[in-house]
Amino acid sequence: MKTSTARFARAAIVGVGFTLAAVSVALAHHSFAMFDSDHQIKVSGKVTGFQWANPHVYIEMDGRNVKDEKAQAQHYTVECASPGILTRIGWKFNMVKSGDEVTVIIAPLRTGEPGGLLKQLTLPDGRKFLNGGPAGKPNIE
Amino acid sequence: MKEMTDSNKDGQSGDARRCRGVTAMLSAATILGLLASTPALAADAPAAAAAKDSKPAAKIPNARTGMTGQWNRYPEIDEKPSPEFPPAAPIPPPPLKPKYKAEWEAHRKMLADAEAAGKPIFSNYTACLPDGMPAMMMGMFPMEVLQTPGQVTIIQEAYNQVRRIYMGEKLPAFEDAEPLFWGHSSGKWEGDTLVVETIGIKEDVKFRDTPHSNQMRIVERIRLLSPTMMEDQVTVTDPEYLEGPWQWRWMYKRMPGYKMLEYVCESNREYRDETGAARMKLGK
Repeated sequence: MKTSTARFARAAIVGVGFTLAAVSVALAHHSFAMFDSDHQIKVSGKVTGFQWANPHVYIEMDGRNVKDEKAQAQHYTVECASPGILTRIGWKFNMVKSGDEVTVIIAPLRTGEPGGLLKQLTLPDGRKFLNGGPAGKPNIE
Repeated sequence: MKEMTDSNKDGQSGDARRCRGVTAMLSAATILGLLASTPALAADAPAAAAAKDSKPAAKIPNARTGMTGQWNRYPEIDEKPSPEFPPAAPIPPPPLKPKYKAEWEAHRKMLADAEAAGKPIFSNYTACLPDGMPAMMMGMFPMEVLQTPGQVTIIQEAYNQVRRIYMGEKLPAFEDAEPLFWGHSSGKWEGDTLVVETIGIKEDVKFRDTPHSNQMRIVERIRLLSPTMMEDQVTVTDPEYLEGPWQWRWMYKRMPGYKMLEYVCESNREYRDETGAARMKLGK
């Protein structure tokens, strides 16, 4: 009995790594592999639209990559998690408005198109919001 | 997607090992008559750990009403599992018969390669179709269990999925079961365990891309592990496609006071490009 339990415990411990790997990619709606999380960028600008709906919330904004001096201002489409995931980490459906000056850290689309997956949002009042567990955290400041 | 490559490489899951261990324990104890009741025999590591603990364990509510409530998958992403409840072992690959296995492996490799190349393949789920049974029980988003006379209803927040388990219902013959996303489910109680049998899943509702016939049967053994923890032991059989039972376990943690949210997949911006990859449509 002791051996069986010990064996199970060992299997469970070995399982932790696998399970976490599996869980971390059991993503809502779709894989995030289309975004490059290793080369995140920081964009500041004005919100032109905020869509709070499933399967994803979107921030539309005219902004500029602030870490690239040569970067031109352009329109960015920023994909966020779902209303449910965001609600559970403190977002509200009306906390972003057209005209707001915001800063986002995003994992850009690998295609080079001006869009990406949100990692962190900074509102005009300085409050910062992440994008939930599946989307992952920012790796730049 | 790592989910596609999370197969336990030795082909034997911790769950399978554990099941065998429990079986051995059961046989030995039955023969020796050392223990009074079988539920005690089914004790797993968490229960054993709890038994060693000096403080009395919190009373598990009556399962016939106590499963009602809101549940989150356990452990949630970034959640540190409690030592009392080690996470379930990874789900093993499906024990497909050799003639189907190679094709399944090739398909999974194609998906994993596309993922690694940053061009994930568009799926039914990405197309806003629900993942159905048994996938909805993974608890992607919070889940609600409602126990009412003669029926247990389980709601998965993602895609507003609902399954209705009719207690004591006679299931139709396989060939008469209309294929559905959540199938036809009948439940019964074995002690404090809710045993649910489900048949009649649509052919294109595939868990982990695993093909199945209309003879696929999903048996779930759902029980409370503590006042705040619940597990679902899943066994899938299919005489056409599988060599033997495919088994795993999902765990859930109670979400006190959580109010389920609506989920309508109404504004999908992901689309399938000409290569089959999922792409994001840009807005203005």
